[in-house]
Amino acid sequence: MTESQQMIEHVAKLIRKPNVTIDENTPLVSSGLIDSMSLVDLLIKLEDLTHMRIPAGKVQPKDMDTIAKMFATAQRVGKPRPNR
Amino acid sequence: MTQNTLDPLCSPLKWPSVKVFHNLVEALAGAPLDRPFITHWIDEDEQETVTFGQFRQRARAHGFELRKSGVTAGDRVVLIMPQGIPAMAAFAGAMMIGAVPAFLAYPNFKIEPAKYRSGLLGVTANLGAKIVVIDEEFPEEMLDCVTLTEGQKLVRLSATTPDVATLPEVKIPSEALAFIQHSAGTTGLQKGVALTHEAVLTQLEHMAGALQIDSASDRIYSWLPLYHDMGLIACFVLPMVCHLPIVIQSPIDWVMHPDAMLQIITEHRCTLAWLPNFAFQFVSRRTPTDTKTHYDLSSLRALINCSEPVRSSSMDEFQNTFAPAGLKPGALQSSYAMAENVFAVTQSQNNGPARIWANGPAFRSQHRIIRAEPGASDAICFTSSGRLLPHQLIRIAEDGADLQPSYVGEILLKSDCLFRGYYNRPDLTRAALVDGWYHTGDLGFLLDNELYVVGRKKDLLIIGGENIYPQDIEEIVAAHPAIHDGRAVALGVYNPEIGTEEIVVVAEVNNEKLLANHDEIEQAIRSQVVAGLGVAVKQIFFKPPKWIVKSTAGKAARSATRDKLLREHPELNSDKSGPPS
Repeated sequence: MTESQQMIEHVAKLIRKPNVTIDENTPLVSSGLIDSMSLVDLLIKLEDLTHMRIPAGKVQPKDMDTIAKMFATAQRVGKPRPNR
Repeated sequence: MTQNTLDPLCSPLKWPSVKVFHNLVEALAGAPLDRPFITHWIDEDEQETVTFGQFRQRARAHGFELRKSGVTAGDRVVLIMPQGIPAMAAFAGAMMIGAVPAFLAYPNFKIEPAKYRSGLLGVTANLGAKIVVIDEEFPEEMLDCVTLTEGQKLVRLSATTPDVATLPEVKIPSEALAFIQHSAGTTGLQKGVALTHEAVLTQLEHMAGALQIDSASDRIYSWLPLYHDMGLIACFVLPMVCHLPIVIQSPIDWVMHPDAMLQIITEHRCTLAWLPNFAFQFVSRRTPTDTKTHYDLSSLRALINCSEPVRSSSMDEFQNTFAPAGLKPGALQSSYAMAENVFAVTQSQNNGPARIWANGPAFRSQHRIIRAEPGASDAICFTSSGRLLPHQLIRIAEDGADLQPSYVGEILLKSDCLFRGYYNRPDLTRAALVDGWYHTGDLGFLLDNELYVVGRKKDLLIIGGENIYPQDIEEIVAAHPAIHDGRAVALGVYNPEIGTEEIVVVAEVNNEKLLANHDEIEQAIRSQVVAGLGVAVKQIFFKPPKWIVKSTAGKAARSATRDKLLREHPELNSDKSGPPS
């Protein structure tokens, strides 16, 4: 499974709405599907999936609105992650 | 009335009196040039350090830029910059030219733009700020949140500061305003607490004495936001005036990886830190078990629990978790502090805060403290916030009348570093400051010269004549293994049919699979609450992780959580005529 598909599954579990289909371009924050507090969890998941350290201070709500944007954000601001 | 003047436990100052300085700028100027001041820990391989000399140079440059933008002595300057050295240097630079800076929260990925916008507008308008300062990387799409009122200017501070040899000397009298800090609260309702140089220096003198600050050996760790008193006073202004090194990280990075705090303390041998109560549990539970012994916390001489009622269970959890990492017994301390008093009112010392056990029914029905055997059934354990700092006077009162010793009431405060009023808000000032006594809105009691803070007056639930503290219910609920990281909120919902409030609990389960057998969990929690507090919970709502609303500081935001619950469950709010709770 690709990282993006794994994230789609993760988000689907988070929102618990069986009737809503999520894809890479589904607006999540602006549509109210997920609330802003869930974003910490999503950002941690994104770090795990991309093996990057993402400086949270450089991320704004719009950067997390879709799964495609999340991965683009990780590419833009992420740093290779040291072994912790 | 109980009055404590000098704490007999205070040993002579290691730090020569900070009162030799007339203002904060002079105190900064007195620091040794080469001593490290701020280290900003960004991640494992990125850190930036400035010495006191470099910091002053950057502050001067920012002061110069602000003057060029038309700021003069007495003007308010609002700073909306990310946690870091540039924000701190801009704050000090504003003070150097006699202006009055105030930090406001910087936008982050968790904020809701609409809420942020209205909060910012209210605060900047009330301050009548001449300049709103943002950084170069301020997100474009958030710019429209910074609504300027007439006569206000937006200034972007550059990250690189020009070399400025001199800044015209500005005489800053000690009675002039130094800065404005905002009281805790929802952003839009934050109150600006205006503080003079004299009040701030007086507070720091008391703190330095109580903590026996030693500029040769102390080093502070902080993730606390600069727009809260704990982050601003304890972790920026105190070290600036006492010339201590500090290591900071941003609150949002800490929330993502709370165990980074342990790594920083280990690497930098930090000796002092302040944390709100919830963080003691949060860090303990979020640190993977197999890494706990990788850290060395033996350098910590005081980790101070401050800004929420102190819970012995949270302190014990942290102590037990990190004793194998070298955390000294007695390193965990407590303090009672508020923006209106610059910061601390009390500070525990020696081997940590005192604890007492009190009879539960007497506490709830009579608001009275009667000692009980430790661990006795229906006894409650209270942890003190320490003894009063010098020149702090406390009264425990109800409706303005003093209570007998051993009764629980509202904490009223008078001190030599108390604020004189909320900025531009005489209405709020009149309500809070009565005959020189500040009505804190906190409930507590004094016993053997120790202050115990038990909760907020407005959060108190009155259930059939019994006083119930939501924190007590939340502690029991959170102890259930199915409940997520202590995330539970207890609320009172007025029931007009029986004429009293009923307890409603909302709690997050560890994972959603647990929602399937919520009946079983509910049964267990109900019987534990009845056994512990003698009251019944009317309803428990189980929610998936992250449901409970947290404030900017990461505390459970009781009123916002209440609003969210009532929105999702309008049936709870069927009676609009009930008394506000």
